[in-house]
Amino acid sequence: MTGSGDLHVVFKVADAEYALRASDVLHMESYTGATKVPGTAPYVAGLVQIRGRVVPVVDVRARFGLAPAPLTLDSRVVVAQANDRTVGLLVDSAREVLRIPQEEFKTPPEVVSRETQGFVKAVAQSQKRLVLLLDFGKVIGEEPSLPASPVAKAGRPEHAIGEVTANGQ
Amino acid sequence: MTSPFDVREFLAGFLAEAEEHLRSSAQNLMALDRSFAQGQSNARAVRDLFRSLHTVKGLSAMVGAEPIVDLAHAMETVLRSADRAPGTLRREALEPMLQALRAIEERVSALAEGKTLAPAPAAILDALGALQPQDGQGGARPDAAVSLPPEVLAKLSAAEKQQLVEGVAAGKRALRADFVPTPERAAAGLTISSVRERVSNVAEIVKVLPLSRPRSEEAPGGLAFVLVLLTGGSDEAIAEAAGIPKEEVLPVAVQSAPQPAPAFGEEDEIPAEAVQRRTIRVEVGRLDDALERLSALVVTRFRLSRALAALGARGADTREVAEIMAENGRQLRDLRAAIMRARMVPVSELLERLPLVVRGITRTSGKKARVEIDGGGGAGDGQTPEGRSIGGAGFAGVASRAGQEGRSIGEELDKSVADRIFPALVHLVRNAVDHAIEPPDERARLGKPEEAVIRVSCLERSNRQLELTVSDDGRGVDATRLARKAGREVPATDAALLDLLTIRGLSSRDEATTTSGRGMGMDIVKRIVDQLGGELLLKTQRGSGSTFTLRVPLSITIVDAFSFACGKQPFVVPVATIEEIVEVDPGRLVRAPGGREVRLLQRRGETVPLLALESVLHMERGTEPRRKALIVRRNAEPYGFEVDRMLGQQEVVVRPLEDPLVHVPGVTGSTDLGDGLPTLVLDLLSLTGSLGESRPS
Repeated sequence: MTGSGDLHVVFKVADAEYALRASDVLHMESYTGATKVPGTAPYVAGLVQIRGRVVPVVDVRARFGLAPAPLTLDSRVVVAQANDRTVGLLVDSAREVLRIPQEEFKTPPEVVSRETQGFVKAVAQSQKRLVLLLDFGKVIGEEPSLPASPVAKAGRPEHAIGEVTANGQ
Repeated sequence: MTSPFDVREFLAGFLAEAEEHLRSSAQNLMALDRSFAQGQSNARAVRDLFRSLHTVKGLSAMVGAEPIVDLAHAMETVLRSADRAPGTLRREALEPMLQALRAIEERVSALAEGKTLAPAPAAILDALGALQPQDGQGGARPDAAVSLPPEVLAKLSAAEKQQLVEGVAAGKRALRADFVPTPERAAAGLTISSVRERVSNVAEIVKVLPLSRPRSEEAPGGLAFVLVLLTGGSDEAIAEAAGIPKEEVLPVAVQSAPQPAPAFGEEDEIPAEAVQRRTIRVEVGRLDDALERLSALVVTRFRLSRALAALGARGADTREVAEIMAENGRQLRDLRAAIMRARMVPVSELLERLPLVVRGITRTSGKKARVEIDGGGGAGDGQTPEGRSIGGAGFAGVASRAGQEGRSIGEELDKSVADRIFPALVHLVRNAVDHAIEPPDERARLGKPEEAVIRVSCLERSNRQLELTVSDDGRGVDATRLARKAGREVPATDAALLDLLTIRGLSSRDEATTTSGRGMGMDIVKRIVDQLGGELLLKTQRGSGSTFTLRVPLSITIVDAFSFACGKQPFVVPVATIEEIVEVDPGRLVRAPGGREVRLLQRRGETVPLLALESVLHMERGTEPRRKALIVRRNAEPYGFEVDRMLGQQEVVVRPLEDPLVHVPGVTGSTDLGDGLPTLVLDLLSLTGSLGESRPS
């Protein structure tokens, strides 16, 4: 919280610019496609392997209900961390790191909140640009609902085992 | 092929045991090396070495690995005379001994891979032979007369005959018992391994010899084992232990030979055996099997809880049962943890092999280096704070420490991780000697000590990861030269440098060296770490050295898996879950009555419901005209999943998918088939749930 403000990674989705605190971002990678995981929410682009780690990717356009856009050389996966989870966000492009003072962030106007379904927790006017601060936890679905098909339940016991392994209990 | 059952099982036991003895032999040789360097003799190491080699020899004779027997015997002979006349073993003996040990190791690996063994190198045998004092003391002694058939007698060494003579002189009886493996006996738990174990409780085993026999009803494997024994007990006890009729235990007459030599450390032998009994060797496959059975139990538990939920939904009071279910869940978790624990091996087992690797390379490269293992912040430290470095105590070779005090590094990791990570460690250490460390004169010029230090340390991180580092005090990675060689820009960071270093096929040295240049570059190290789901890091400083850090999970799940394509995407399934793979003949499919798209496949008089996997997974269908079906069975009911084509079969490391975003039915994890992309691991059994439930009732 220095006077000059925290570093933020700024990226573009459709026509808007969004930001995440740089301290939450692990890395940015180019995107050439992901392994689809059948049965996941439509906004889950799939799995990518980044530095030996398998990371699920959320397609931010799909998450926001925007029209899909073709992949370009600019497409990026912004890998960020929240609590114990590491998830990548598929965005149109990501190039900048900006220092944005805390006080520049304002509660978003209601119209923005509604439009973005609460995914934006603050907006900042930075050098005449409007930057929307993402609620990363919300984007990656802090309380995701599992698909409610009977198959979904049948799959769970294995995951229960997986959890045991993960915690090593 | 008639059942090779016993021989195979026996071989697995042989390999496990031989490996252990070879490891301790290597440690003892290193200990001897250090003692010699200080001008001391080390009677204890000599004795331990002798004992290990003697066991290796005996084991090898049982599997008919004569070249190993020859080598072990030659080493043993040198040691025997050294023990009789302390101080006669000199430093010159070490090199042929190390060579012989390496030759044994090579042959043990060849045995494991089912290859034929190269004969014992004559040069090594000669070198060992030349070490023997020519005073006639340790050499030829008149053979004792032993009444055994010539084919058995021929395989008895002089030492073994001597053992018989001494046994008889001590009032024991010499006996012979033949064990013939049969499927019935195997089913009753009687295999050569178990028989050996049981007989060793009632008699001293002098020799176990496999002999081929004409195939017959009594000997369906065409194989018998002759056990030559010494006992103070009765024939009945031995017959009972060997699972054979009493009449088949035959006496062996032994004619005493003149002046028996003092037995080699006979009093020590017994306590050493007693200590060993507290541990048992188990094939990893058996633990995997237990784990697999446990998964079946977990699936059953889940079905129970679903049935319970359904009862509850109908208004039944299920509170008490639900509590029991919860308890049951905890117990299953504990059981799983217990099995996983059984698979753990001490990290020290890996690390203590490294000094020997370095010793071998420094000899050929003319460089001077020693390995220091950062381990042991004090012995017996069970409770350790998270992230504690096990480093600390200054140290002169982990081998001596592990050899004398037991395990100094308390960290453990899963056997399968250990097996996979070890080649990466060896490569890093070799690289250090080969590329990083300067020749002694250059080091002297640079003001560095002539002998370089390669430090290997180990640290358990909080998140179930082990961090292994290999550091050297050499010249550091030359980024500029590397970049020029790869035709890239000079990397700005160590991370970028590591990326460059791990490009496939790039070796920083222009000509391949005998040690590192054998096809395994840094890219392989990287791939090993990646496949384990770990991380490889580099820190390097021009002129003062490099540190490679490997972070790997403590345990992983490895399964033998089929890979196949379905709807343009590759998947894998554990081989164990698949009953059969069949060709789908569209002409022979029947459409099931009822609304849902279920087709039926006729297979050996059984009707198997067949589902296209892509439709279960809501994916596009591939273009393959003739498809394959994977048959699984749940609750005795067969189900078929139609896929496009089979890709292969391989062992894969399964990483659990933990994020809720990808927590979905039928997908148990992901793996890397070697292309750097995640491939999903499917659980077809759980996908049959949809089929079963949506069937018209």
